[in-house]
Amino acid sequence: MNNMLIEGNTFLLGEEVNTDINCSSKYLPGKDSEYVSTVAFDKLEPGFAQGVIANGGGILVAGKNFGINSSREQAIHVLHLMNIKCILAPSFGRQFFRNAINNGLPIIECDTSDIQAGEILKVDLQLGQVISKAHKIPFTPLPQEILKIIQMGGLLNFITKHPDWNFAA
Amino acid sequence: MGHTISEKILAKRAQKDSVKAGEVVVCDVDFAMVTDTRASNTIKMMSKLDKDALKFTQNTALVLDHYSPPPHPEAAEIHQKMRAFADQAHTHLYDIGDGICHQVLPEGGHLTSGDLIVGTDTHSVTYGAFNAFGTGIEGSDVAAVMASGKLWFRVPESVQIHLNGELQPGVWAKDITLYLLGKFKAEGLNYKAIEYIGSAVSKMDIDDRMTLCNHAAELGAKAAILEADQKTIDWLSAHGAKTPAPVYADHDAIYAFKDQLNVSTLAPQVARKHHVDDVVGTDQIDRQAIQFALIGTCTNGRLDDIRQAAHILKGKKLAKGVRMIVTPASRQIYLAALREGLIEILTSAGASFEAAGCGTCVGITNHLVPGNQETVISSANRNFKGRLSNDEADIWLGSAATVAASALTGFITDPRTVAGGNWRNI
Repeated sequence: MNNMLIEGNTFLLGEEVNTDINCSSKYLPGKDSEYVSTVAFDKLEPGFAQGVIANGGGILVAGKNFGINSSREQAIHVLHLMNIKCILAPSFGRQFFRNAINNGLPIIECDTSDIQAGEILKVDLQLGQVISKAHKIPFTPLPQEILKIIQMGGLLNFITKHPDWNFAA
Repeated sequence: MGHTISEKILAKRAQKDSVKAGEVVVCDVDFAMVTDTRASNTIKMMSKLDKDALKFTQNTALVLDHYSPPPHPEAAEIHQKMRAFADQAHTHLYDIGDGICHQVLPEGGHLTSGDLIVGTDTHSVTYGAFNAFGTGIEGSDVAAVMASGKLWFRVPESVQIHLNGELQPGVWAKDITLYLLGKFKAEGLNYKAIEYIGSAVSKMDIDDRMTLCNHAAELGAKAAILEADQKTIDWLSAHGAKTPAPVYADHDAIYAFKDQLNVSTLAPQVARKHHVDDVVGTDQIDRQAIQFALIGTCTNGRLDDIRQAAHILKGKKLAKGVRMIVTPASRQIYLAALREGLIEILTSAGASFEAAGCGTCVGITNHLVPGNQETVISSANRNFKGRLSNDEADIWLGSAATVAASALTGFITDPRTVAGGNWRNI
């Protein structure tokens, strides 16, 4: 399986980040995702999105309950536009978790307490390991069905190719 | 090894003998719902698929409830697209003022016990009141359901909460859910399916059971499910639902944990400003003034809520300086309240009625905009800072009884201390 190994710079956010407020146009009526992707998370850390974009993207690492209280799929589209390659947090808002998978963005539940901003991380989705110079953090790999949806770039790509939901094909 | 209600519903829909928590399954969905906040995204997602491939649309409802009525041309345009899509794809459509999705689905007979129901709203857990597995999804999910009639699910761990005793007059399911939010905290039961059982649940009427399940969304729950009993079956039958196929947990089902609460001594609860899990009894609040009162939303906009408010405000006036808005959860509830004379009672007391919908809860229709340093007491399910379009205002949450009692006195008030505050339809 390709694209199961992800490498990138760490961009750090805190706990309980609401992506409706910080990463959607819910409170920016008329603004599109392109615009939101340049100001996302500014309320938490001014210039955050610009920093990610200037770096060519990377891995988003957060505290518990990332995406809490919010269910807008747009948040994932915005993260794609920022070139976020993977998200790590100890737990996620339930719908945010689904949305990431459905839109082909790898999303991992793991202990992120020791990860520092700027660290280069390698995430092995198949083996279940986050590796940096300083750490080796294990996690339970996502079920094969989920990895398949992510690998195919999301749910709609998957059911277009597999209208019978055959994960083995 | 036994199984929970959620595991049994998901296993049956996945055509498997059994499923276990953590497993990913593909299930046949019974009914899907799309609200106007997600319709734009959903229709965009659908346009990526071959429209002729959409097979499931007759089991889908489009509901124009959040922007009811539309506050700007962009929202009106979404509604135009939804009406056009519903016509072309032959989905059900509930237009502006018909009601909130979680009310019109059961009222419309679209779900029954044992069903698997998905909707583009986190409070889709409400359908668990009817012994259905109801859960929130988004646009890609709906597009996949419409195309294939199926969707993937990660089977949740279940939690069993035993509610012993009986709620005292003046205390409602809302007070139980607020108490549990104080205990488990917001998102404290993230990903979990909650099963509420016990004598307190059996004694609740359907309106209160819907509140109980609805508010589980704030606990982060993927579903909140009750057992079906005769009340459930009679209600479903009266609303034209398919024949119920009740699902019960096995006595040796595996739960992540079990908990219990004796509700007989529970006092009315409120969530203090900004945090749904900062919860205390109304008896511990010392003269907290309010300027705005709201009864409505998918949590507490049902007939029993409006009846309770009318019992408190009959022949009375709202306290000086207090404004009150009532948004019945559906047109049917509005009509029932009209026939019972409740609308006259509340209007005479100084309350205003707005079209059934979600706008006064989520703060996107500008029906209810508090001023700076004003406090709102609301029967809604969320109170984070700025939810009603003003960061300088505070929102507290309580039952319809607490909201009406507070509107009467001008202060957060235990409904049991005012006349009519201990009404219950028995």
